[in-house]
Amino acid sequence: MSRRQRAAAVLASLTLVAAMTACGSDDAAESTGSDGMIEQLVFPAEGQASQGGLANYNVFAPNPTLWNGLFEPLMIRNSLTCEIIPWLATEYEWEGGDKLTFTIRDGVTWSDGTPFTAKDVAFTFNVGKQYPAADRAGLWNDSFGAPASSVTAEGNKVVITFTGNAVPKFEGIIGVQILPEHIYGSVGDPTKYVDEKGIGTGPFKVASYNGRRLVLERRNDYWQADKIKVKKIVHEGQYDAAQASLKLRSGELDAYTGEIPNPQRSFVDADPEKNHFFYAPAGMTVLTPNLTKAPFNDVKFREAIAYVMNKQEMSEKATYGIMKPASQSGLKLPYAAKFLPDTYTQEATILPYDVAKAEALLDAAGYRKGPDGKRTMPDGSPLAITFSVQAGWIDYQAIADVAVRGLNEVGINTRLVPSAPESVDAQKKSGDFDLLLEYLHGGCDMARNLGSKLHSGQFPTQTEVRSNVERWNDPATDATVDKLAASTDEAEQKALIGELVDTMMTKFPVISLLYAPERLIYRTDKAVGWPSEENPYVNPGARLVILTHLTAPSKS
Amino acid sequence: MRYFARRIGFFIATLWAAITLNFVIPRLQPGDPAEIMVRKLASRGTGDAELDPAKVRAMRAMLGTPEGSLWEQYVEYLRNLARGEFGISFTYYPFTVSEVIGQALPWTLVLAGVTQVLSFLVGVTLGAFAAWRRNSRFDSIVTLGSTFLGTLPQFWVALLFLFLFGYTLGWFPTAGGYSEAMPGWNLEFIAEAIHHSILPAAVLMLTVPTGWILGMRNTMVMNLGEDYIRLAKAKGLPDRLIALRYAARNALLPSITGLALSLGGIFGGLILIEQAFDYPGMGRLMAEAVSNRDFPLLQTLMLFSVVGVLVANLIADMLYGVLDPRARKAQA
Repeated sequence: MSRRQRAAAVLASLTLVAAMTACGSDDAAESTGSDGMIEQLVFPAEGQASQGGLANYNVFAPNPTLWNGLFEPLMIRNSLTCEIIPWLATEYEWEGGDKLTFTIRDGVTWSDGTPFTAKDVAFTFNVGKQYPAADRAGLWNDSFGAPASSVTAEGNKVVITFTGNAVPKFEGIIGVQILPEHIYGSVGDPTKYVDEKGIGTGPFKVASYNGRRLVLERRNDYWQADKIKVKKIVHEGQYDAAQASLKLRSGELDAYTGEIPNPQRSFVDADPEKNHFFYAPAGMTVLTPNLTKAPFNDVKFREAIAYVMNKQEMSEKATYGIMKPASQSGLKLPYAAKFLPDTYTQEATILPYDVAKAEALLDAAGYRKGPDGKRTMPDGSPLAITFSVQAGWIDYQAIADVAVRGLNEVGINTRLVPSAPESVDAQKKSGDFDLLLEYLHGGCDMARNLGSKLHSGQFPTQTEVRSNVERWNDPATDATVDKLAASTDEAEQKALIGELVDTMMTKFPVISLLYAPERLIYRTDKAVGWPSEENPYVNPGARLVILTHLTAPSKS
Repeated sequence: MRYFARRIGFFIATLWAAITLNFVIPRLQPGDPAEIMVRKLASRGTGDAELDPAKVRAMRAMLGTPEGSLWEQYVEYLRNLARGEFGISFTYYPFTVSEVIGQALPWTLVLAGVTQVLSFLVGVTLGAFAAWRRNSRFDSIVTLGSTFLGTLPQFWVALLFLFLFGYTLGWFPTAGGYSEAMPGWNLEFIAEAIHHSILPAAVLMLTVPTGWILGMRNTMVMNLGEDYIRLAKAKGLPDRLIALRYAARNALLPSITGLALSLGGIFGGLILIEQAFDYPGMGRLMAEAVSNRDFPLLQTLMLFSVVGVLVANLIADMLYGVLDPRARKAQA
C-alpha cells in the first residue's frame, strides 16, 4: 500500500472509531443527590496484576480482583485509637489465654439471600485445619502462640479453644474474612477455587466486570445499609504516581492509597478546597544495627549514634516533611501515648540531632579520633561500617543517605551500599550486615509488634525474615514479652509495655527514625467524611469503616 | 539441501541451550516468592512492611515448595514442557500459566504485530524512495528526520503523547486496552480496543521505522552503484522499472530477514510502552513475573520469547535460502 493510501485508510478508521466511541462513552453522572446519597465513586483497581480478565474474588488468591467491599471480618481494629470495632461479631471474651468466644451478629445475610450464621464462621476457621494454605491467621500452627485445638459453633456463638496461651493470635483471628459455607464448603481446597461471583456479607455486590472495569453496587439488604450512602463504586486501572496524580486532579479518581511524591504541591495546591491527603503513621522506620558485632554490641556506641540521626532532614528528604520524627520509645505517638510510662514526656522520647553530644559520648566511650579524623575502636583498630539499603526504595535511600552523612560527620567511617531488596533480605536472614533500615509495626498488639522485635525467639532464620533482625538477646526482655503475650488485663499490659519502653530508651536495641505512613489521598467534591488530620477517626486502610462514614457534601 | 539441514540442526541445539538456561537463570535470583507476595499484599504503597509470619507460612503452603534435587526438578521441567504443561502461576494463582498468557498474548500480537508490519512497509518504501532520489531534499529530510525520531526514547515519547493527546486534548483514552465494553467479538469492544491502541501504535510508528528506512536506503544505494544497474540504464529500461524490479527487490533481502527477526521478538512484548499506557500485554506480564519471582510464569514467558526469536531466525534463514539463489548455491 502506498503512503498516501495508507494515510487515507488510517484517517478513515480513526474517524469511524472516534464516532463510535464518542456515542458510547458514559459521561460523569450527577454526583451528589438528595438525602446524602453519593451516586458513584471511582477508585483504582485493587487487583494488582495486569491481566484483569482472570476474575477471582477469592480472598486467598495472591491477587484477588477485589479486596475491600465483598467480604467482612469478625471485628475491625482501629490502628490509630486501638479500639476494636465489632463487625460480624458483636462481642468477644477470653477465658484464660486458651479459650476465645465470639458472639455472632444477628440479621446478617449473604448477598445471595442466604442467612449468615455462626456456622459460616466455624467453617472459615476449620477449613484452615484441613488446608494449611487457607490458614492465613496461623490459627492451627504455632505462629504467635499455641495452636487451636477446636473451633465450634454453638447457637450464635463461636468457641475457639487452644492448646495453650494464644492471646497474640487475636489480631490475626479478628481480621480473617468470613467465607460462605454454602459456596466454599463443597470446593475442597478453597485456595484453589476461582470465585467468580463474590457472594459475601459486605456492603457491595458485583454489578459488572469486563476484565478492566469493576462496578460494585450497594446492597439494600446489607446489615447496616442505612450507613452506606455510596450507590456505586467503580474500580478501574492501575496507576503509578504520575498517572494517579493527573487522574485525581481531573476528578477521574476519587481516592488513591499509593505514594504520590510531594502531595502538597502536586495535588493539594491545585485546589486546596477539594484536594486533601491524610498520611497516618502506621509504624516506624528504625535504624537496625547488628548487635552481635562490635561496635554495635556496645550500648554507649548505640546511644551516641542515636544523636547523629538528623530526623528532621530525613523527614524533608524522604517524605517532603510530612512524616514526623519517631519516638525512641517504639510507640506510635501521640496515638499510643497512654502506654508511655509516667517517667517520660512525649517530647523527651524524641531524640534531637545533637552532634556535640554524640561526639562527647563517643569520646567518653573510648572511640577516639585518629590522626586522620576518623574514629577507631577502643583498642585502636580501624572502624569501618557498611550501611546496606534497598536500591529502588527511594524513601529508604533518602533516609539512609542522611544517616550515613550524620555518621561520617562525627568521624565514623561509614559507606552506603545500595543493593537489591532481596539481597538485603538475604543479609537479614544470614545476619551478615552492619547497619540497615527496618520497619517496626505500629499495631495495637504490643506483644506482636514491639515485643516480637525484641524477643530472642524471633531471630530471622535461614529461610524466613522475622522481626528481631538486630538480634537483641535479653532474658529479662523475653520474660516481659512472654508475660505481655499472655496478658489480657489492661493495667498489667501498661506496666509490661513500660518495661519495654525503658529498654528502648536506655539500651537502644534499635534507633527510631521516622514514622512510616498509611496513605489516603482524596477529593471531597463527591464525598465527605474521609478520615483526616483534623478528624482521624480511623486509619486510612480501614476501608469498610470509612465507607460507613462517607456522605454527600451538603449543598451550601 | 545441506544448507537447510544445517540450519535446522543449529536451531535444535540452540533451542535446547535456551530451555536449559531458562530453567537455571530464574533460580539464581535471590528472593522468595512467598515473602514477596505477602509483602505486596500487606504493604500496598509503602516499601517495607512487617511480614506476618503466619501469612508467609500459609502462602508458602499454597505456592508449594519444589521437591527433589535441582537435577530432578530439571527433568520434571523438561517432561512438563514436552506435555505442554507450564504449571500454575504464582501471581495469578490458581490460574494456569497457559490461561494467563492466553489473556495477554492477543494484545501484544495485535499491537506489536501490526505496528511491526506497518513500520516495515512504511520504512522500506520511504527508504527506497530516499535512495532513488539520493542527495535530494527528500532524501535529507527522510534520513535526518528518521534518525532524530528513531533515537528519541520510546518511554519519553509515550509520556509526551499521553499528556498531549490524552490529558490535555482528551482525544484518546489514557490507560488500558479497553474500558467499558465486554471482551469478545463485538463491535463495541473492537472499536474500543482500536481506540485504545492508537496512541501506543503512534509512538511505535514514530520510532520504529528508522531501522528499516536507513537499512533499505543504504542497501539500495549500494545496489544502485552496481554494474547491472548501469547496464539496465544503458539498455534504455525506464527508471521506475529499474528501481522497483531490480534495485529495490535486491535491496529488500536483508530487510526481509530483519522483519522475520523482529516479528519473532514481539513475543517478549514492549515493556516500556505497555507500562506507560497500562496496556495488558506480554511485556507487562514479564515485568510482573520478574518482580514477583513468579517462576512458572517467568520461565514460560522467557521460553516464548526465546523460541519466538529462534523460530523467526530459522524462518529468516530458510527464507533467505529461498529468495536468494546465491546463498543456496554458495553453501551447496
